[in-house]
Amino acid sequence: MSTVSIEPLLHHYVRGGVKYGPKSKTFKPCYFNCSPNRKLLFHAPSFCNFRPSSFHALRASSSTDTALVETLESADVFFKETFPLNRVETVEGKIFIRLHRGQNNENMQLAVGCNLPGKWILHWGVSYLDDVGSEWDQPPAEMIPQGSIPIKDYAIETPLKKALSPDGDAFYEVMIDLIPNSAIAAINFVLKDDETGAWYQHRGRDFKVPLVDYLQDDGNMVGAKRSLSMWPGAFGPLSNLVLGAEVSHTNDSDGTNEFREPKQESRSLEGFYEQPIAKHVALENSVTVSVRKCTETAKSLLYVETDLPGDVVIHWGVYRDDAKSWEIPSGPHPPETIFFRDKALRTRLQPKEGGDGCWGSFTLEQGLEGFVFVLKLDEGTWLKCMGNDFYIPLPSSSSLLTKSRQDLSESAQIPDNNAEPNEKASLSAYTDEIINDIRNLVSNISTEKSRKTKTKEAQESILQEIEKLAAEAYSIFRSSIPTFSEEAVVKSVEPKPSAKICSGTGTGFEIMCQGFNWESHKSGRWYMELKERASKLSSLGFTVIWLPPPTESISPEGYMPKDLYNLNSRYGNIDELKEVVKTFHDVGIKVLGDVVLNHRCAHYKNQNGVWNIFGGRLNWDERAVVADDPHFQGRGNKSSGDNFHAAPNIDHSQDFVRRDLIEWLCWLRKEIGYDGWRLDFVRGFWGGYVKDYLEASEPFFAVGEYWDSLSYTYGEMDHNQDPHRQRIIDWINATNGTAGAFDVTTKGILHSALERCEYWRLSDQKGKPPGVLGWWPSRAVTFIENHDTGSTQGHWRFPGGKEMQGYSYILTHPGTPTVFYDHIFSHHESEIAALISLRNRNKIHCRSTVQITKAERDVYAAIIDENVAVKIGPGHYEPPSEPQRWSLAVEGKDYKVWETS
Amino acid sequence: MEVSVIGCSQAKIGKTELAYRELGCFDPKGVSKAFSAKSRVCFSPSTRWRKAGIRFTLRAVQSEAVRSEKVAASSRISRSRDGVRLFVGLPLDSVSDCNTVNHARAIAAGLKALKLLGVEGVELPVWWGIVEKEAMGKYEWSGYLALAKMVQDAGLKLHVSLSFHASKRPKIPLPEWVSRIGESNPNIFFTDRAGQHYKECLSLAVDDLPVLDGRTPIQVYHEFCESFKSSFSPFMGSTLTGISMGLGPDGELRYPSHHMLTKSKQIPGVGEFQCYDKNMLGILKQHAEATGNPLWGLGGPHDVPTYDQSPNSNNFFRDNGGSWDSLYGDFFLSWYSNQLISHGNLLLSLAASTFSESAATVCGKIPLMHSWYKTRSHPSELTAGYYNTTTRDGYEVVAEMFARNSCKMILPGMDLSDEHQSRASLSSPELLLADIKKACRKHGVEVCGQNSSASMAPGGFQQIKKNLLGENIVDLFSYQRMGAYFFSPEHFPSFTQFVRSLNQPELHSDDLPEEEEETAHSLNVSSEASVHMQAV
Repeated sequence: MSTVSIEPLLHHYVRGGVKYGPKSKTFKPCYFNCSPNRKLLFHAPSFCNFRPSSFHALRASSSTDTALVETLESADVFFKETFPLNRVETVEGKIFIRLHRGQNNENMQLAVGCNLPGKWILHWGVSYLDDVGSEWDQPPAEMIPQGSIPIKDYAIETPLKKALSPDGDAFYEVMIDLIPNSAIAAINFVLKDDETGAWYQHRGRDFKVPLVDYLQDDGNMVGAKRSLSMWPGAFGPLSNLVLGAEVSHTNDSDGTNEFREPKQESRSLEGFYEQPIAKHVALENSVTVSVRKCTETAKSLLYVETDLPGDVVIHWGVYRDDAKSWEIPSGPHPPETIFFRDKALRTRLQPKEGGDGCWGSFTLEQGLEGFVFVLKLDEGTWLKCMGNDFYIPLPSSSSLLTKSRQDLSESAQIPDNNAEPNEKASLSAYTDEIINDIRNLVSNISTEKSRKTKTKEAQESILQEIEKLAAEAYSIFRSSIPTFSEEAVVKSVEPKPSAKICSGTGTGFEIMCQGFNWESHKSGRWYMELKERASKLSSLGFTVIWLPPPTESISPEGYMPKDLYNLNSRYGNIDELKEVVKTFHDVGIKVLGDVVLNHRCAHYKNQNGVWNIFGGRLNWDERAVVADDPHFQGRGNKSSGDNFHAAPNIDHSQDFVRRDLIEWLCWLRKEIGYDGWRLDFVRGFWGGYVKDYLEASEPFFAVGEYWDSLSYTYGEMDHNQDPHRQRIIDWINATNGTAGAFDVTTKGILHSALERCEYWRLSDQKGKPPGVLGWWPSRAVTFIENHDTGSTQGHWRFPGGKEMQGYSYILTHPGTPTVFYDHIFSHHESEIAALISLRNRNKIHCRSTVQITKAERDVYAAIIDENVAVKIGPGHYEPPSEPQRWSLAVEGKDYKVWETS
Repeated sequence: MEVSVIGCSQAKIGKTELAYRELGCFDPKGVSKAFSAKSRVCFSPSTRWRKAGIRFTLRAVQSEAVRSEKVAASSRISRSRDGVRLFVGLPLDSVSDCNTVNHARAIAAGLKALKLLGVEGVELPVWWGIVEKEAMGKYEWSGYLALAKMVQDAGLKLHVSLSFHASKRPKIPLPEWVSRIGESNPNIFFTDRAGQHYKECLSLAVDDLPVLDGRTPIQVYHEFCESFKSSFSPFMGSTLTGISMGLGPDGELRYPSHHMLTKSKQIPGVGEFQCYDKNMLGILKQHAEATGNPLWGLGGPHDVPTYDQSPNSNNFFRDNGGSWDSLYGDFFLSWYSNQLISHGNLLLSLAASTFSESAATVCGKIPLMHSWYKTRSHPSELTAGYYNTTTRDGYEVVAEMFARNSCKMILPGMDLSDEHQSRASLSSPELLLADIKKACRKHGVEVCGQNSSASMAPGGFQQIKKNLLGENIVDLFSYQRMGAYFFSPEHFPSFTQFVRSLNQPELHSDDLPEEEEETAHSLNVSSEASVHMQAV
């Protein structure tokens, strides 16, 4: 092991990073001249400054440094390591909307553009004059530009095209021809960035460009009424000056638009509007640290080099012993160093001569244990190493000097071994205890009966102990590097594929475990039982665990919540919950809370004897209950989704309800430490509300349960399940891509394919996977079983004996796979472990590509990311021998997985 | 250890194992031999036996504590004919080149896990290039002693491999001072026909030449062993039960005939003879002149293929009419392989005499050159120094040499099965292994098994089991090797299962819950009963 694998640093501070914040949503006065401003706003240099981490050669930067560099080179390299630095930067740009007359001055055109790079898509629809309410409609066919995709019956998605402005800046734009005599009242749209899944709106709502003057002003219109002078005051008056320029500006892209004969003179609707936006861009840089030992002075020379742009300040100190406390070394310190309190030093790194990054060198006295630092980019942006300080071990003793053995063995270790003696002691004490127990057990046997039970206990405890120890050994071996290996010096850390974190996908490399089943509440101490298995789950390779619903509930399983702030459930009390969450965090697993937002059980009856008055901290009354379920006599609005009839459905359209739920979610995040959500029964309310909840509670990962029936004809499942997956996609869309959704479609199709030996079902008409994962893989959370479908409920059980075929599918395919608890701790364990390890090893992620190579009656085969091949079904398949060489990696009943060798 | 008589599920084994060991009877070899027949009886769930077991318990515990020391001393004399003792290799780089224990915490956890699993001990490679790194005679044992202490604390046995070679991955070089000598005098290294030196270990031709600053390699090895013996005397015989002597490349008794193979791993070539360093050529010349064919002593055979070629690409190894089957061929091959055997003899007798007082078993490792076994000439074996063809048994002499020195033979490749070998290489690890085992059986040489591939191929464990259980010649298996992969979820569970199945060769009806309970009892009885009998 010669490299240290470092997690993307991203998620450790993205929480504090800038969101699509309110600041960028507020309107600024309109700019009349868009191109020059664009330059100012868009930080092009930092965006382009991408460089994979690599080996940095030492360079003499200026004449004064030459001497130093020479000394460096003459000494032995003691340590060299390149750490990747991933961060998110917000780039600003703007969306501009222009309504103008097309060529020949006859038709009006609407142009929507954006000057940030991205895969922009205009998601739009129209409102007709006679429409009531705020529903969207499909525009007339003539208005739809080429290359557009209809989204059900109410919207169109049109990609923006890249164009060049007169002064050479790239921007993205789409034009829509307006038909003068149609009854269109307004055009509604939002802008979507397909790269990030982010949606851009106007003041939190759709953009609305009114085309007639009698539309009511509902506060979110950006378009002109009648004439430019009618633009809402806040936007400021627009001058006519802009129009001439704009028309010529867009001529070049007019050719792509359909041109229509004018029929009727429209009113003067021309105008121009801009909205600033911000976008998060993942940037990868690296920092390389090398330590050399100066043979003459016995001092250590430490050289830090990074390709981070701009001013970088290194905030540093040293460890004198293994107490791990920051201390300031004796001088001299490098130039531009200041003291920070009395604990650390801050040194500004010197810019490199090429302008690309910066460096610093530090001379450290003898006898120090290590060098610790973090990097500071600007106020508020700190770069750390996996959430910890960067730690560089220093040669505390030369190999020529004889020191006591103990000292040597400790100083030569990589950081976490500094704590070794203590932990070792406690570990061995722990194991000894177990061994003692066993010994006592054996010698204390008095009756056959007690022996019978104790044998079982001993059996369990030994097995668990072995697993725990193995998991521990594995995690250390996996992450440690031999300190003095030459390869560690030469090799740089393999650059991680860029991983953007968003709540819909996590890092994109997540593998989830559903950490309970329908019976888990029975022991009354599930949290504690799960805690025991945390390190095991971590060593299996899971990154996310979904815990059962934590609230007080009418039903023991937790899905009939009552007082949301009471977290004592049949799974354990609030303290145990906190403890299990912390345990999972300690082993590097993120924790999802199962939150039931659709319904809530009441505490009291109203005057009619109907249960719809709530108690506890959220003491809502019948106004919080939807109006269209007669059982509960709600006085809220109609439900925005399907009703769940066993309990009062919450009316999310009420501001106070949303406010309270947001507060609750934020409390759960902070108090319990949940990293994200599994959202129960999201069919029950509009996905747009989910978006509000997720934007406010900022989860690391969120997934919704949108479960409805697949389509069947005469009892046989239809091959085409596009409407089913479209419904799930629509929900994800409504959440703005802030959440993923369980891929129920894929589960259903796997059922039919495996049960009936109809493996052809695993390819849709376009040769792509037929589930949600074929259309929007990054948001598809695949699974084959959960507490409802399987476990002791068995509402829709996966075909028996074919579970591993199912897992070989979802664990090799894109999407975020979920493994059900019952399957992990079963005879499937080793096969599942092998598949997870293969997935991690080959870096398959939620956006990996799938190439289906065979979908026939008895066999399905696909190649993922060109380095993993999978075959499911009894039929024969071998991956092609060219151009890759394949070796069989995992195999089981009716499936095989290969990886390139 | 005596676990073959023990019941069904793994934890029970763990339990009894531990109970057994904690009681102090860690080496019931002689006794268990006598006992094994009886213990089989215990499998029948008889109440009488059960009761008897319970009654004996306390007495057994007491008497054992007294006996334990004596048993250790007798460990070399007899062995279990039923069980296989399992060892696991520690990482090659367990001790860093500045004598600290690498990833000590992981090793500590790993040792505990192995102990609980019922593994007997661990194997630890001790590198010449680390211990005697800086100057001749300047030994630094601290890292290894620390590790031995950890092993002892974990209650495991230790088997060290004295490694007088270098390792490429992880990079562990020869001692610096030896490499320096090698730079000025590359003739201390093995050399092939093209004049390329193999710098990972010293040529056997210099064994008795004073090339190391006036001392011979044999002297240097000897002093190393002496220093080891005195440094490890506290562990000798108690924790330290085995010492394997490094005999050549990768510690194996062979020529480095295959070190220049190119990347295409599919079909290994035949390798090349390594007799072209100045000293080897000198010996060959003398030998040829002494036998009256001076012209045969000018070099190795001229009609051999190169490293990665197949046997038929040149004349020497051809099945029919190849020069190996000629008078000259016999002359050369006999000389070439005899050189190797006398080298082995030299080192093993050195080790045997050095460690004769200590209670540790001395071992040597030989390679399993299984490719091209199905040809008549066995070219891979020939180039490696084993004159074993369809017409000549080359392992007899080797086994005889081991027997002469009362050394145990370490045999790798126990995990390899014929069906997983590439067809084109005409290889047969199973047949070759059978050949060698036959020779060993004939000369009464005990065998310690090892696996060859780092990552277990499908069916590897079954193959090992097959090799271990069928015969009574292999009583110890050293599984290679602890590390990240070893503990990874794709490997460790199957290893656990392997250990479990190893300890209970015949599967009992543990599907039936009641039966299971019964068996659990009888197994307790059996171990306790054995304790009792031992005490008597």
